[in-house]
Amino acid sequence: MSKQIIVKSIFLFALLGYVLSPISSLAQQSSVRVVASTDSGSIRIGEQVKLRLSATVEQPGGLTVVFPQVPDSFSHFEVVSRSKPDTAGDNNTKIFSQTIILTSFDSGHWDIPAFRFDVVQNAGGGTDSAFTSTLWVDVNTVSVDTTKAFKPIKSVRSVGWNFWDYWLYFAIGISVVIIGIGLWVYFRSKPKKEVVKPVVPLIAPYDAALQLLQQLRGEKLWQQGDVKQYYTRLTDILRAYFEQQFNIPALEQTSEELLQHIKPVTILNQQRDKLRSLLTVADLAKFAKLHPTPDEHEAAMQQAIEIVEWTKPAVEKAAGSVEAGKEEIKQP
Amino acid sequence: MENTSSDIRQLNEKIHQASAFVDLLNLELSKVIVGQRYMVDRLLIGLLAQGHVLLEGVPGLAKTLSIKSLSSAIDGKFSRIQFTPDLLPADVVGTMIYNQQKNEFVVRRGPIFANFILADEINRAPAKVQSALLEAMQERQITIGDTTFKLDDPFLVLATQNPIEQEGTYTLPEAQVDRFMLKVVIGYPTKEEELHIIRQNLNPQKMEKINPVIKPADILEARKLVREVYMDEKIERYILDIVFATRNPEDYKLQKLKPLISYGGSPRASISLALAAKAHAFMKRRGYVIPEDIRSICFDVMRHRVGLTYEAEAENITSENILSEILNAVEVP
Repeated sequence: MSKQIIVKSIFLFALLGYVLSPISSLAQQSSVRVVASTDSGSIRIGEQVKLRLSATVEQPGGLTVVFPQVPDSFSHFEVVSRSKPDTAGDNNTKIFSQTIILTSFDSGHWDIPAFRFDVVQNAGGGTDSAFTSTLWVDVNTVSVDTTKAFKPIKSVRSVGWNFWDYWLYFAIGISVVIIGIGLWVYFRSKPKKEVVKPVVPLIAPYDAALQLLQQLRGEKLWQQGDVKQYYTRLTDILRAYFEQQFNIPALEQTSEELLQHIKPVTILNQQRDKLRSLLTVADLAKFAKLHPTPDEHEAAMQQAIEIVEWTKPAVEKAAGSVEAGKEEIKQP
Repeated sequence: MENTSSDIRQLNEKIHQASAFVDLLNLELSKVIVGQRYMVDRLLIGLLAQGHVLLEGVPGLAKTLSIKSLSSAIDGKFSRIQFTPDLLPADVVGTMIYNQQKNEFVVRRGPIFANFILADEINRAPAKVQSALLEAMQERQITIGDTTFKLDDPFLVLATQNPIEQEGTYTLPEAQVDRFMLKVVIGYPTKEEELHIIRQNLNPQKMEKINPVIKPADILEARKLVREVYMDEKIERYILDIVFATRNPEDYKLQKLKPLISYGGSPRASISLALAAKAHAFMKRRGYVIPEDIRSICFDVMRHRVGLTYEAEAENITSENILSEILNAVEVP
């Protein structure tokens, strides 16, 4: 070997020593210890295992520990969740840790590879790496007893009732009830306008019929030439009276039908001929433009009054007999 | 021009005299027709009001005999057309045939050229034949080739429908049924009437012959008088109330009928009801219409003009039930 080669080798070693000198000094100043551990070395398929990564740094001043980037899926394992890196310790010793929950759906003996931690010197930018040891986890299948019968698939299980899942609905419901009660109380307490109800006098059909007949007579319709209206009103008063007094739907019946329907009402049936005569004249006046004589007009009114009087309810008749003679139907 | 009371009195007297033939006709028809007075009355109303009649009833209820007898009593021409699935419009109205001697096409008139037509089992013929007949009924004229022929007057079509058999039938559409002024449902005769029918039929020698008691011209005159029968505005409004109650029952406090009626009476229903009521008054020898006339004829005029919903059919509610409810709710003038 020549002298030239020896010089070159010395130069190269010197250069290498110069390059590596900061790291060696870093290592000398601080010591970094990285550990990976699992809470179990054996799980059943689908079960979860906690992987804890930690880095303990002595004399941590001026150093940054970069945690390894664990992918979501690696070497038959899936990452379920991962915690944020945690820091503990004092000025002399710092412990950086992170917990990653893993699961596996492949049965077998699987290795968790070594993870690399990077240690970066803040001043100067020197970098060092530290590797955890390789771990292994056995993922076991569920033991099946094939000698036993197959069990059916379990049905869907309902989740237990939890108030907090529904609290919003309860809150809305209670709010609506409170608002409703509030409005009710508000409107109830508000002074109401007094509605003056018209006083409807309770008047018996008999009295009402007689009153209306007198009113019709007073209007002097036939005297003014409105014969049709006179007979229409006259028969309507009688029909309404029959309807209220005897529950005969007289307003919806023709004259002939009405005469048929009064048959079961004995007291009314006794006035059948009178009623027939009245209805016949009225129909002719209403539908055939017949103009009966003034005597016939008055006779029709008289017949109507007589029918109402005849069918006067018994109680009223008795009361009326006391005052007999006191009141007479006024003649025009 | 408005009628005065003296006009109506005169009209009443005139109608009282002119309608005397109704009793004569009834007397003549009763020689061969036992019972079925209701059907005969409706036939006469159709004849006087210039409307056609749809009869519904099982076979053997003297439908053909009635119209044939009526035709004989009026000295009119009678035709009977049995509707079958293979019937063609030309079989009803007529067609052009080639005359070899004259070397030209001549018109061969169909059976519809008569005064009284019995269209038996009208629902057995396909729609085009029904249309041909119903069009003739409406227009009262027929066009064969290039020539239009006016149909005989009086012209009355009495169509029958068999309610028992429904297989192989072509039900008349609502629009076509509406063209019949009356739809009359015929029932069986009473026991006494049927006894009389048996005795009459067992002694054909005793079967009397119908003699003509009036001429078709008399019917045409009577029709003019029917149109003149006085109808007061109150009666007109009563007709409108009934027809409108079939359309908007809720306006007459009959909300319960609303889901049962798919469609109500058309304006043709109002016209038919008014005309039929006038004819009814004429037959009762009156010169004016009273509410009894309307109520008497209402079912026959309206029963085929009130459409029922599926709900009503499911509950076995008929148009007669609906009309009864309406008549019991609408106030009589």
